[in-house]
Amino acid sequence: MNSSTLSFAGKASTGHSHAPSKDPGVEPFSCDVCVVGAGAAGLSAAHAAAACGTSVVVLDAFPRPGGQYYMQPPAAPLASAKAMRQVTDGAALIAEAERAGARILPGREVWGVFPGGGQPERGTSAAAPSDAGGFTLHADGDGGAVRVTARAIVVATGAHDRVVPFPGWTLPGVMPPGAGQRLAKLSGTPPGRRTLIAGSGAFLLPVASSILKAGGEIAAIFEADNRVLAAAGIVARNPSIWGELARLARPLFRAEFEVHRGAVVVAALGDDRVRAARLAPLDTSGTPDLAQTFEIDDIDALLVGYGFRPHVELTDALGCTHDFDEAAGGWICRAAPDTFATTVAGVFAAGETTGIAGSRPALLSGRIAGLAAAESLGFGDTSGERRYLVERRRRPAAFAAALATHFTPPAGLAAAITNDTVMCRCEDVTAGEVRAALADGADDAFGAKLWSRAGMGLCQGRVCGFGLARLIAAERGIDPEEVGFNTPRLPLRPVKLSTMQAALKE
Amino acid sequence: MSTTLPKTAEVVIIGGGIVGAATAQALARTGVKPLVLEKGAFGGAVSGASLACISTHMMDLDELPLLAWTRARWAELDAEIGGFEYNRCGQLRFIAREHDIAVAEGWIAAERAAGLTPELLDPTAVRAVEPALTGPILAASWSALDAVVNPFLAVRALLADAQRHGATVRAHTPVTAVCTEGHRVTGVTTTGGHVDTPLVVLAAGPWAARLAAPLGVVLPMLPRKAQCLATVRVPPVIRRVVGACESTGGVEAGYTQIQQAREGQVLFNTVLAGGTVQSPGSSPAPDGARSAGSTRVSDGEAAHDSSLTGAANSVVPPSIVPPVDLAFVRDSVETLLWLFPGLADIQVLRSWVRYEAVTPDSRFVAGPAGPDGLWIAAGDNGTGFVRSPAIGRLITDGILGRTPPFDAALYRADRFTATAAA
Repeated sequence: MNSSTLSFAGKASTGHSHAPSKDPGVEPFSCDVCVVGAGAAGLSAAHAAAACGTSVVVLDAFPRPGGQYYMQPPAAPLASAKAMRQVTDGAALIAEAERAGARILPGREVWGVFPGGGQPERGTSAAAPSDAGGFTLHADGDGGAVRVTARAIVVATGAHDRVVPFPGWTLPGVMPPGAGQRLAKLSGTPPGRRTLIAGSGAFLLPVASSILKAGGEIAAIFEADNRVLAAAGIVARNPSIWGELARLARPLFRAEFEVHRGAVVVAALGDDRVRAARLAPLDTSGTPDLAQTFEIDDIDALLVGYGFRPHVELTDALGCTHDFDEAAGGWICRAAPDTFATTVAGVFAAGETTGIAGSRPALLSGRIAGLAAAESLGFGDTSGERRYLVERRRRPAAFAAALATHFTPPAGLAAAITNDTVMCRCEDVTAGEVRAALADGADDAFGAKLWSRAGMGLCQGRVCGFGLARLIAAERGIDPEEVGFNTPRLPLRPVKLSTMQAALKE
Repeated sequence: MSTTLPKTAEVVIIGGGIVGAATAQALARTGVKPLVLEKGAFGGAVSGASLACISTHMMDLDELPLLAWTRARWAELDAEIGGFEYNRCGQLRFIAREHDIAVAEGWIAAERAAGLTPELLDPTAVRAVEPALTGPILAASWSALDAVVNPFLAVRALLADAQRHGATVRAHTPVTAVCTEGHRVTGVTTTGGHVDTPLVVLAAGPWAARLAAPLGVVLPMLPRKAQCLATVRVPPVIRRVVGACESTGGVEAGYTQIQQAREGQVLFNTVLAGGTVQSPGSSPAPDGARSAGSTRVSDGEAAHDSSLTGAANSVVPPSIVPPVDLAFVRDSVETLLWLFPGLADIQVLRSWVRYEAVTPDSRFVAGPAGPDGLWIAAGDNGTGFVRSPAIGRLITDGILGRTPPFDAALYRADRFTATAAA
């Protein structure tokens, strides 16, 4: 039942084929469980589900599986035992999952997910399971276009840096800590000769560690939170973390760099590249005191971030329920504690998607989700093992949650955002333009986006969304939660017209 | 900007889309100070999701006087206010089937008789106007004076001008009821409080019928689903608005519109045949299907319909806008590449859905209805942008007791019941 204006297109294409010169060739896969994300949680889920006897396909956006924690370098220029350990542990996880039968397809990002295993019919709109059950996932990237039909999905898509813009943040040499660590881990090159790390979160220490190992120098770490004793108390109550913390803190004792507290970066300075950073102490309301700034110079790299935001586009597109938890990263996917099943039948979520907690809880939640997904498809009773895993996960998860409450981003960061600060890099929108849209009557992220284009570009607000929410909330005197967010829409990642055409062909 | 709600207003305009914005601007310019109440973000429901073509071509022949006036008015607004990327790029309507050539010729003859200047182009002439259109079309009609505006900025610019002339605007302020006493409008109730007013303009698009129903005003409007795709920014490749020849007409006719935004995105819009929502139960995605129970406030798309207390039998769009149909994506990509094969390697960035308000004769309802003080300005039928300044003018002239420069009878709210009685 095509419309009159569209039906001829199909007809004519048989006779005239100027169109897509090359068929992008979409490779089809069919499996019981499709795991999206090959980090700690995804690999663990894939291994568990495959070991239960299910057929498993794993999709990952990056060229190599491993995720942020178990990142696998292209070659193997391993500089230290610590790096070696994460890489070798990761390699072992990957090998285990593959030995159990999981098929890992890296270099493919999911751009669409739909209910059912068939091709589009008129009226298939909401991505909830159809009567037939199951899902179709479309993914594309350097690995090549694939179409995966699966009876269940485990979403383990990880997280990305939580960034609040500041003047100068677009200068070369300024990047979020996650990106800086990725650079150091993958290329073995530090982000600069001398790096200043600032922001908030337990993650800053391992980033410093990775940079030192890659041969870089650390000017200092500036942690926004200044409740040293409370943080120390949490660590003291969790002996399981002592070993790792001691390793991470070793450079501190060797006086390789210092950790300062209670100040944030309010500007990056430099012409062709960042050369210095301006910092300001936080007042009791979490607002930088711009009257008392100081500068750290002789740097050529500046990493600033305030923890992580879970990637929830896929679970949102699938119709899963999400909750807002600032400490756990903002919007997180709701998952049952004993199965990591989301609110949509057949969809499981694990790792950071369900709240930022780090690699150890992610390994366990991945395993629980993998087992539960297999069980939901009739592959045995896994409840005993899951109960044990839930118990084992309890302490590290509680530790991560307690620590996270100490590293929520300071409330008043937006005060440092000058009108000429670029908020949205994709569309080159300044804070002044966003403020002008608000002055004309826009009052949320969506309204500001319509009138300023902030968040309308290539990244669809993934990079700037958090900072925009902070800015708008500050301007309007409301909670960032009320500001709203960018609803994920097809495609979840940009995809070529010709690839879409091939993927959706009957 | 103050966010408290005024206690009184000379006129309350319900709906901050392009119709509400144009009406507010027209009223404010005469010295009347309207209050615009929008349930979500301004232009965030229908207007911002549309492709904002300012066209007189292949429209309603009875409306040509209004269309000619309003097309010229847009050019004036660009000169007076500006800031909304007015671009008189012209419009092509491509023809793919032999019998549509005669259809196009019929439109062209009628429009030329009314003083407009469309013409029919052969494929070679089409390529001179639109070089990238290399698909195997048979011909195209060409309306050189048609234009496009940036839909977001047009709403913003008109609201900003209205505010400069005394209007007040409030986003995220859903009106839950229009209040009356005797047979007179006395105010509106919103989720943020009550506003006293003797005049209400209902410019709520596909949501208008539900607000009018409790007042005894039956608006025969159905929501119709329209869908869009946008690519990433690319260098200029499509110069014109490229549409399909409208050969069948009527509310169920599909239509297609392709253009490139000034920022570089290639945009594709289609209404599929049978896209009209037929009954409340048949909404494409049940309310809350996306995130049932979620506290997550989406990008203005989670409307506040549950708070609206309308007649049970009125048909409204689902409160949460669903994703696009996969069949739409497949067919529209196919059509786009059939017309513009050179776009194959361009990446699609985003898709979205909007609901148009469709009337039985494809015309707006613009005029008084029901209790004294109630004015209706809704029924875009998918081509609301071009008419909005004229609808704003009709309402303003009506409220001020002046005679509008075109035939107001075409838009009377009681025309459907009058026809039935005749």
